[in-house]
Amino acid sequence: MTSKTSFPTGLPRLGAQIAPILIVCAIVFALPLVLNNDFLLNKVARYLVLGILTVSLALSWGFGGILNLGQAMSFGIGSYAMAMALKLKTIPVHTGSGGLPDFMVWNNVARLPWFWQPFKSLSFALAAGIIVPALVAAALGWFIFRSRVTGVYVSIITLATMVVLNLVIIDQQSFTGGFNGITDLAQLEIFGFAFDAYGRATFYLVASCVALSLLVAFAFTRTKAGLVVQAIRDHEGRVRYFGYDVAAYQIFVFALSAAIAGLAGMLYTIVMEFASPTFLGVQLSLSVVVWCAVGGRQSLVGAFLGAVLVAGMQGALSESAAFLETWTLVMGALFVLVVLFLPKGLAGLTKSAWRWIVRRRLASQGIARGVGQTREGSA
Amino acid sequence: MTTHLDLRDISVSFNGFKALNGLNLSVRKGELRCLIGPNGAGKTTALDIICGKVKPSTGAVTFDGTALQDLEEHEIARAGVGRKFQVPSVFRDLTVAENLEVARARRPGVWANLRWDVRRAGRADIERLAELIGLTEHLERPAAYLSHGQTQWLEIGMLVAQDVELILMDEPTAGMTAQETRKTAELFERLRGKHTLIVVEHDMGFVKAIGDIISVMHMGQLLAEGTAAEVEAHPEVRRAYLGSGGITNA
Repeated sequence: MTSKTSFPTGLPRLGAQIAPILIVCAIVFALPLVLNNDFLLNKVARYLVLGILTVSLALSWGFGGILNLGQAMSFGIGSYAMAMALKLKTIPVHTGSGGLPDFMVWNNVARLPWFWQPFKSLSFALAAGIIVPALVAAALGWFIFRSRVTGVYVSIITLATMVVLNLVIIDQQSFTGGFNGITDLAQLEIFGFAFDAYGRATFYLVASCVALSLLVAFAFTRTKAGLVVQAIRDHEGRVRYFGYDVAAYQIFVFALSAAIAGLAGMLYTIVMEFASPTFLGVQLSLSVVVWCAVGGRQSLVGAFLGAVLVAGMQGALSESAAFLETWTLVMGALFVLVVLFLPKGLAGLTKSAWRWIVRRRLASQGIARGVGQTREGSA
Repeated sequence: MTTHLDLRDISVSFNGFKALNGLNLSVRKGELRCLIGPNGAGKTTALDIICGKVKPSTGAVTFDGTALQDLEEHEIARAGVGRKFQVPSVFRDLTVAENLEVARARRPGVWANLRWDVRRAGRADIERLAELIGLTEHLERPAAYLSHGQTQWLEIGMLVAQDVELILMDEPTAGMTAQETRKTAELFERLRGKHTLIVVEHDMGFVKAIGDIISVMHMGQLLAEGTAAEVEAHPEVRRAYLGSGGITNA
């Protein structure tokens, strides 16, 4: 009976699991103390937002076993929801009260389209940025998982759906701003408090959302439903015979993941000050997969750090003269190396290293009885 | 002792091959029924039909008055049918404790399981179960690191955790050493009476050790039914096993 509690290198308990999340959040909140440059702070905020997006993919891919190649679709929807609301706020300044967003005027649109109307309310936009991606994902998931589509076909369907939405947005220029996206936005203002893209308030808003998404995702993985979702990842067919409706669980984690991605999308609009079809483009969506794999898809913190580090590196490489043309090659090579040698990503590497250190210390203390023997087979 | 599970005129074919051809089988409550027969007799398919993995082309499966053939797998499980597959199927990345927790599907809905206390509440149960299957020492290890025999026991433990009326076992002792097989037979003795069991098994020693009534299947049909001595003496059964060295070597 005592052996289970004193098992020293077994799967970490609650404290050991939540500690990395709290540490990372603390570091994120402390960053403005170190980075005394608004431009840099904005850039880091951008990477943090991409980190949230990657956490959302880790939830569906690493925990649910659903490789959603269209994760950026939810991100894009969130981003456009925010942009539409912020665009409508500029009307009194740009085209006079009762007018239309500037690009609609250029495209000879006579009246504000019906689906723009509710975005006059900021509260509606904020809710829609999370709820609409979740509902779209739930509907798509209903078709996918009810008909028991699995594996690579899920990835193909999600990718294709995203591409279709992307093309529709580009094509419907008069209603969506088309290829240019929605630009020239007002600042987000909540309770008279303005969020300037280059201000500290925005950075702390992003940091709070980082903490919120990490904790929500973590809390979910600790529930029994989260456990069932992981069981489905391991052996989908087996879970059914315990009485669980597998599709219902898959739809739920798919929608939860989309909701977090939608939140990230809204923040991205605030940080970037525009929304663009590239936010739901294939390149971003596939990059998220790379970040997630590099960081470790079965670790929320790993996925988050993977995104921040690799996206940061991407940013640095693409700006340096030497790698201007070749940074995508560097990224590709990194992905191949991780897939081949680090299937659990940097998080897995850290975990193994940690276990190795603990074992070494216990061995040197002469109390390794049982530890070495039980973990040996698992190495 | 009324009929608990009833299979009536079940037929099913795979690409023209009739795996089951008018199978009739009834099992009473609390019984431990062994299902034997030569290779290709349709034993596993019969279990697949009951748990919903395969849908019959004709015939009906009734379990305590419920028609199972129209239900989905998870609905059949909720009606009280559990299944152990021939290939041990546990969740390899989850720990032994987590495996047992997943199997304890008291309330299987998504919303009911969005809570933390659900997992804490079952902890005592899980420790008791781990003792029964001899895996107390391994509770916090991923199931991937268990030996073959331990994996089989874990899966049997998961069926106990699921606590269903009717348990279907497909070759629970396959690949086990003699000692492990003995331990498994003991485990079955503990399940007897609390659950109704249907066990597909090749090992006649094991079957004799645990079984009350044995059903012999051949060519997708029920060939004979009775005690071990009765079926061994049955002329049709002898003919079915002809050339394979008799029933004991099947």
